[in-house]
Amino acid sequence: MRYEAPRAIEEAVALLADAEGDAHVLAGGTDLLVLLRAGLVTPALVVDIKHIEEMCEIAQADGGFRIGAAVTGAEFGEHAELKRAWPGVVEAMELVGSTQIQGRATAGGNLCNASPAADCVPAMIAAGATCTIAGPAGRREMAVEDIATGPGETVLGKGEIVVDFLLPPRPPRSADAYLRLIPRTEMDIAVVGAGVNLTLDDDGLCKDARVALCAIAPRVLRVAEVADALIGSAIDDAALELAAAAARAACQPIDDKRGTVEYRTKIAGVLVRRAALIAKQRAGNGS
Amino acid sequence: MVLTNWLNQRFTDGEPEIEVSAGTVRQLIAELDGRFPGIGAELEGGMAVAIDGEIFPDPFLEPIRADSEVFFLPPLEGG
Amino acid sequence: MDIEAPSYKWVGTRPVRPDGIDKVTGRAMFGADFSLPDMLTGKILRSPHPHARLVSIDVSKAAALRGVKAVATAADIPEIPVDNAFVGDAPTNFRHWSSNVLAREKVLYDGHAVAAVAATSPAIADAALALIEVDYEVLPHVIDVKDAMRDDAPVLHDDLFTAGVEPKPDKPSNVAKRVEFTLGNTEAGFAEADVVVERAFRTKAVHQGYIEPHAVIANTAEDGQSQVWCPSQGHFMIRAACAKLLGIEISQFRVFPAEIGGGFGGKINPYLEPVALLLSRKSGRPVKMVMTRAEVFRATGPTSGAALTVKIGALKDGRIAAAEATLTFEAGAFPGSPVGAGCMTGFAPYDITNVKIVGYDVVSNRPKCCAYRAPGAPIAAYGIESVLDEIAQRLDLDPIDFRLKNAAKEGTKAAYGPQFGKIGCIETLTAAKDHPHYGAPLGPNQGRGVAAGFWFNFAGQASAAVNVNEDGTAIVTYGNPDIGGTRASMAQIAAEVLGIDYDKIRPIVADTSSIGFNDITAGSKTTFTAGLAVHEAAKDVVGQLRERAAKMWDISVDAVVWENGVARPASSNAGDFDPLALADIAAMAGKTGGPISGHASLAATGAGPTFAAHICDVEVDQDTGRITVVRYTAVQDAGRAIHPSYVEGQMQGGVVQGIGWALNEEYIYGSDGRLQNPGFLDYRIPVASDLPMIDTVIVEVPNPNHPYGVRGVGEVPIVPPMAAVTNAVASATGVRMTELPMSPPRLLAALENGS
Ligand SMILES: Cc1cc2nc3c(=O)[nH]c(=O)nc-3n(C[C@H](O)[C@H](O)[C@H](O)COP(=O)(O)OP(=O)(O)OC[C@H]3O[C@@H](n4cnc5c(N)ncnc54)[C@H](O)[C@@H]3O)c2cc1C
Repeated sequence: MRYEAPRAIEEAVALLADAEGDAHVLAGGTDLLVLLRAGLVTPALVVDIKHIEEMCEIAQADGGFRIGAAVTGAEFGEHAELKRAWPGVVEAMELVGSTQIQGRATAGGNLCNASPAADCVPAMIAAGATCTIAGPAGRREMAVEDIATGPGETVLGKGEIVVDFLLPPRPPRSADAYLRLIPRTEMDIAVVGAGVNLTLDDDGLCKDARVALCAIAPRVLRVAEVADALIGSAIDDAALELAAAAARAACQPIDDKRGTVEYRTKIAGVLVRRAALIAKQRAGNGS
Repeated sequence: MVLTNWLNQRFTDGEPEIEVSAGTVRQLIAELDGRFPGIGAELEGGMAVAIDGEIFPDPFLEPIRADSEVFFLPPLEGG
Repeated sequence: MDIEAPSYKWVGTRPVRPDGIDKVTGRAMFGADFSLPDMLTGKILRSPHPHARLVSIDVSKAAALRGVKAVATAADIPEIPVDNAFVGDAPTNFRHWSSNVLAREKVLYDGHAVAAVAATSPAIADAALALIEVDYEVLPHVIDVKDAMRDDAPVLHDDLFTAGVEPKPDKPSNVAKRVEFTLGNTEAGFAEADVVVERAFRTKAVHQGYIEPHAVIANTAEDGQSQVWCPSQGHFMIRAACAKLLGIEISQFRVFPAEIGGGFGGKINPYLEPVALLLSRKSGRPVKMVMTRAEVFRATGPTSGAALTVKIGALKDGRIAAAEATLTFEAGAFPGSPVGAGCMTGFAPYDITNVKIVGYDVVSNRPKCCAYRAPGAPIAAYGIESVLDEIAQRLDLDPIDFRLKNAAKEGTKAAYGPQFGKIGCIETLTAAKDHPHYGAPLGPNQGRGVAAGFWFNFAGQASAAVNVNEDGTAIVTYGNPDIGGTRASMAQIAAEVLGIDYDKIRPIVADTSSIGFNDITAGSKTTFTAGLAVHEAAKDVVGQLRERAAKMWDISVDAVVWENGVARPASSNAGDFDPLALADIAAMAGKTGGPISGHASLAATGAGPTFAAHICDVEVDQDTGRITVVRYTAVQDAGRAIHPSYVEGQMQGGVVQGIGWALNEEYIYGSDGRLQNPGFLDYRIPVASDLPMIDTVIVEVPNPNHPYGVRGVGEVPIVPPMAAVTNAVASATGVRMTELPMSPPRLLAALENGS
């Protein structure tokens, strides 16, 4: 197995594009190394992207944020402005793993690992985040929700890497929230997760909303019907019940050792309702 | 001397309590085997004994007093 | 035995454990930390099938692979006839152990060891495993204990006839044994009762969950002498097992205890050790084997899952009139579940005239179950303490008052027959009732549960030596692996007897060739049993110190007393001498008769039984079924706590494991008979952030059979938690959960059914 730690994106792309055999990007390694140790992947080449400066930075850009794909969960949590503007995105990323995992795990890895239960992804989708993809043919931008296509599957072609995430500028009275259910308090995989992002108008009515759910389908889903149930409402009980029902209707989960279809469906409704209330309260507090 | 259920069904016509005079567990088992042939092998083959409330997992020479109460119990294991 | 007056200098204090700094800095040597020059890696090929006949195993290609130095299957170890020898705490069937270590004729569970290789690198060992050709004739399998008892169930062992039933059955089955305990007449008792509650319960198999995986390194020299380093709950036990399973003499090898990262009963049985020793003897090289976590889950450990029914009747005044229970325990692939202990412990905290308990030991296609902290008792207590809670509720009695009304005391005939000696059941329940936690207000969606528990505690054989050094310090040598801080307790006991400071004493856990035989560190026995040996060995030293002082003063030994670490003349009649400190006498040892060295080897008896009473508060999320334990208090009789911090540590650890058993831990099998969650991600032991601080209260009702009054403490704390948590959930929600674990989906379903 060959290990490379390039300093530039173009170098990383070239290494991956020219690789013969199985080549893998290594960010924090908290997914990849688990697979390696279990013998489920046997790479010929591993390209460590943590030495590429551009990918390890959080910057304010065009009124929004540009977050390198190799930024770790711990770094999300330490960034005061990011936390103020996107509390839901930050709390989602901070839920990944434990203190030790937080020092390694990245948002890019969370996205590209393409787990249906990835915690950071629904929050990014709800935020309306896009990402930059660099590849042999140059760079392109794509919505986060379009990256994963199924469990472990992405649209990325040979030699392509995710470089960064772009979070849009924040209108006034807007906020987001992410909640997940796990049987324990950490070190677990979401049974269901829900990200809600809201903007309120001057009367406190919901002007805009984006909602995404994880662990209820083969990939993380943006659910427009849930957002529609909230938009125009005061996010009152009636609207929340409609939103919860829409969330349940969008569920197409599996039965497995982590949860049943019935349970996951019910919990999707509960979490959407609770996350929407938190986002509403945060938005109302004028963040 | 008290025997667990199946032992008394097999060997003593269902009588669970038997009076025996013996000074040690070894003597007790020998005495019982004399009266109920075959029971000795069962009792030695891995039963614990409680003498006056105290459990001995691997008994042999433990003393028994004239008024002692002796129970044969299934083997026990600690973790 | 007279209990020494409780004015101790060291007993009951909290010095830092001698192994503490090494363990927190990572310097301590655990099983996988050992390496030797020229070491090979040993690996095991495991069955992917839950039940299959081994038609053939062809290892020739693997053996021919470059870098492979030894290959082994069951054909390389003696076939042991039916043989029950007493090792550890109970008779052990070595034929079964042998077939568990390397399968013979059949594989009986997913993960059952089939063959082993030793090679010059892990990658070559893996490649060699892939070259072993096993022809399996797959057989129908059975996982669930109730299914395994059905007439049409696949039978695991053709020679297994249910023991304990009369007449003896005429065909084999999966029911290995039936046990029964009866006292009085339950039918008459129930007829008198004002309230009778009967319920059925299920619990799942759970693993001991030690963090350190099984690991071993074995080395063999040209003269055939071997050495083995491994963590275990008893290196003498590992020695006995290796000798028996491989057919080699005990004098041929030596077992060194590595530090152990948790055992809880799961590191009593041999798994890798005989295989590593065999591979080393075949290759003539050191062989190191370390299990993966998946191997630990698939092939070691768990305690029984169970099905139980409990029926209890009580009078209006709260007296229990009659009690019945039927316990059906999974044994795994070979007989030997702890159902006997389950039957004997469940009703033990209570004085009940009419009792009937029946237990069944049932095999199925799961790993061979092994001991787990108070084996059998937590399962029985779960059902029984749940039903008692419900009766207290129906009778509108305080649950602790109800238990106190029926509590066992000195002279009570235990439900399993014998009479109790001096016990602390009432004292423990009373301390729980008096604890501020019991009366504290509860928040919304919160509930409080209590439960009691009992454990026998065991004693056994132990050897110890106390060697006085020339400078007046001392080495305490004993032979039980230190799992819970026993080095500290041994040093405290020696310091107490010798009258020198704790930090002048270095306690050492010796290997099997450096000290006499010792039983396992299990059954809550080590501080009691090894402690008695250290106490005797230290007294032996005191006798020698008095003799030496007598020689130095030229007076009779009877005229010398040993007090507070110095020799003094017994009275002014004996002469006028300045006291001699231990160091003064030690410095003169060479001139007064040679080294001063005390020894003791003994078979201890009289481990006092112990009781626990726990209080648990939970908060239930009614929309998701998630349970949070918000407060927990464990009360327990320790007889006398030699080192209270380590007693508290045992209590907290037991509680945490019990909470895990109650909330989320379970072995999950697919319909293919394979274990689906062999890892800590999906086998959910509690993490630190799941738990509140576990409060502890040590009650001390001294054990009359011990000089300081010690009772075992390590096991009983795991007995009450499952019932305490379940009772708290019932109090919070009105729903009584009769199936463990109470994972969120199960509880939510129950809440919605209102059952
Ligand atoms: C103990 C533990 C607990 C965990 N808990 C959680 C949890 O609570 N929630 C959760 O969602 N996940 C959890 N995970 C999974 C994992 O930590 C997360 O998915 C994490 O975000 C992955 O990031 P990473 O940087 O470590 O990814 P890596 O392992 O480095 O990479 C993951 C995959 O993405 C690819 N990749 C990485 N970066 C890029 C890139 N920039 N461009 C293209 N491909 C890339 C890699 O090739 C690999 O296939 C846990 C893992 C462990 C071991």
